[in-house]
Amino acid sequence: MDRKRIAGPELSVPPLFDKPQIVPQELAGEGRPDGRSPEDVRPIFLKTGLINQANGSAYIELGNTKLACAVYVLFFPTHCSSAFPRLITPPPRCSYGPRQNKKQTFSNMGLLNCEFKFASFSCSKRRGNQRDSQEKEYSQILSEALAPAVRLELFPKAMIDVFVTVLENDGTASCLAGAITAASVAIADAGLEMIDQVAAVSAVERSHHLVFPQRTQSFAKDQILMDATSAEEKLETGTLVVSYMPSANEVTHVLQTGETEGPVTVQAIEQCIDACSKIYTVMSAALVESLKEGERPRV
Amino acid sequence: MPAPLISPSERDYITKSVQANLRADGRTRLDYRQIVLETGLISQTSGSARCRLGEGTDVLVGVKVEIGQVDIDSAGNRGKVVCNVECSPSASQQFEGRGADELNNELTQALERVLNGAQGGLNLEKLCIIQGQQCWVVYIDAIILDSAGNLLDAIFIATRAALFNTRVPKTIVQDLGDGQFEFELLDDVESAERIEGWDHVPIGITLNKIGSRYIIDATPLEELCTEAKLVVAVNRKGHLCGLQKSADGGIEPSLLTEMVQTAKSLGQSLIKQLDDQLEREEIDFNARRARGEHVEKLGFFAA
Repeated sequence: MDRKRIAGPELSVPPLFDKPQIVPQELAGEGRPDGRSPEDVRPIFLKTGLINQANGSAYIELGNTKLACAVYVLFFPTHCSSAFPRLITPPPRCSYGPRQNKKQTFSNMGLLNCEFKFASFSCSKRRGNQRDSQEKEYSQILSEALAPAVRLELFPKAMIDVFVTVLENDGTASCLAGAITAASVAIADAGLEMIDQVAAVSAVERSHHLVFPQRTQSFAKDQILMDATSAEEKLETGTLVVSYMPSANEVTHVLQTGETEGPVTVQAIEQCIDACSKIYTVMSAALVESLKEGERPRV
Repeated sequence: MPAPLISPSERDYITKSVQANLRADGRTRLDYRQIVLETGLISQTSGSARCRLGEGTDVLVGVKVEIGQVDIDSAGNRGKVVCNVECSPSASQQFEGRGADELNNELTQALERVLNGAQGGLNLEKLCIIQGQQCWVVYIDAIILDSAGNLLDAIFIATRAALFNTRVPKTIVQDLGDGQFEFELLDDVESAERIEGWDHVPIGITLNKIGSRYIIDATPLEELCTEAKLVVAVNRKGHLCGLQKSADGGIEPSLLTEMVQTAKSLGQSLIKQLDDQLEREEIDFNARRARGEHVEKLGFFAA
């Protein structure tokens, strides 16, 4: 027997410490890790026509958040054909022809059927193939955010399918905001009549006295960070997603979580509305760009 | 079963009545229907409550606390809240079969988003029994028995009352040394305690935008005329604990701000009224029991 070695107990457990919340160095300071100011959104890349089989599609990148959106129009609008020059002659190899609303119930308005899905590899934890309750909820939010903009009264009994796939998730709230923005552009790309484009943006509310209890003095003010990354989201006390139609001046969706004092949220909503107007210009540019390419063969 | 439809004349009647601030049942825009609330109806639960709005909406909430494993992702010192809302098919033919799936999910997520987390009010750290191992899991199950509009508000009111009514058994933790712990449950009913922070649990106020104005506590017909809905969760301090728009319409930014403010003040006063009533009832209940009187519950046929 080796007597020089100190025999440890047979069973041991790691000690439990009162862990102070560890704030990564780069997030502890006043600025943001990527050098943005609190009210800056990440640079946006937005392009239509990623998916050829779809009637309309868009791809969006918000920093590392990447998602693709496809719109399939399952109807043949004969009664308002002038508004849909692209749809009068359906693309020859289009896998989706005119189709009736899958649900059997009658609806005198068109239905906006949205499906939001995180790709199984898109998040830090693997997502299942089945849509979970969060994805189902986001699907519903997506359709509620877009419905005010699309002229659904023009297509009774018909269904518009909007599929969003998140390829990379860098901030869950930004995924939802990006999905709304991209879906709006994709619907316009499909040639559907809309009242306005819907721009969406996310923000996090960070109360510093909650995150850094020991530094209340220097961080007395609550901060609103626009378009947070997932690293920033981890430290949040609340998140906010706002979607807005700039020309119609209407908020189409608001989703806020976390406890805040009223004025902070109201201010955050105002900031988001301002940011939406900026995103709107990016969306318009992407659509104009797609029209310039316009003569590119669809499908 | 198709979704109910509304005729243009009915829609017009309701929209104009909202504009005139006098609704079909004689309420003004910001009036609730009569709220009937009773706690402690179901003996199998740790706490229960039933909320009825007027002659319609009827929600039963049962809270059960059970021992479960601590989530590894969190700091390991927190209990959990799990919410579930189910629309009983008896409430409406629409809920038959899988018809209620979407609504169930919507209501469950709305409740979960508000109650699960710091803004939910409950002191989750107090629900941890042994750090890194076991904790109390608070299961909040709501059943919609009858549906006549404004489900979410009724769920929130009933949930808050059920959490007021909830008692968690006391535990005694023993240190066995070597970093091992064991705990013992006290089955003494009298020593069971309320969950700390129940009074900070928020309630939700649903505002329905009809025309250019908004109303609270909408009836089913009014819900059919609703362009946009805004659910605002408010706690006792008047802090916002959640905000969500639903239904297929938009809201102008200035109106949105006004709606949030209105909901905040309405919510705060409603919480105060409910708390006063609940506490008064409890004092009365305890006094009568101390006198040896049998206290009967109003039960399911209470007005």
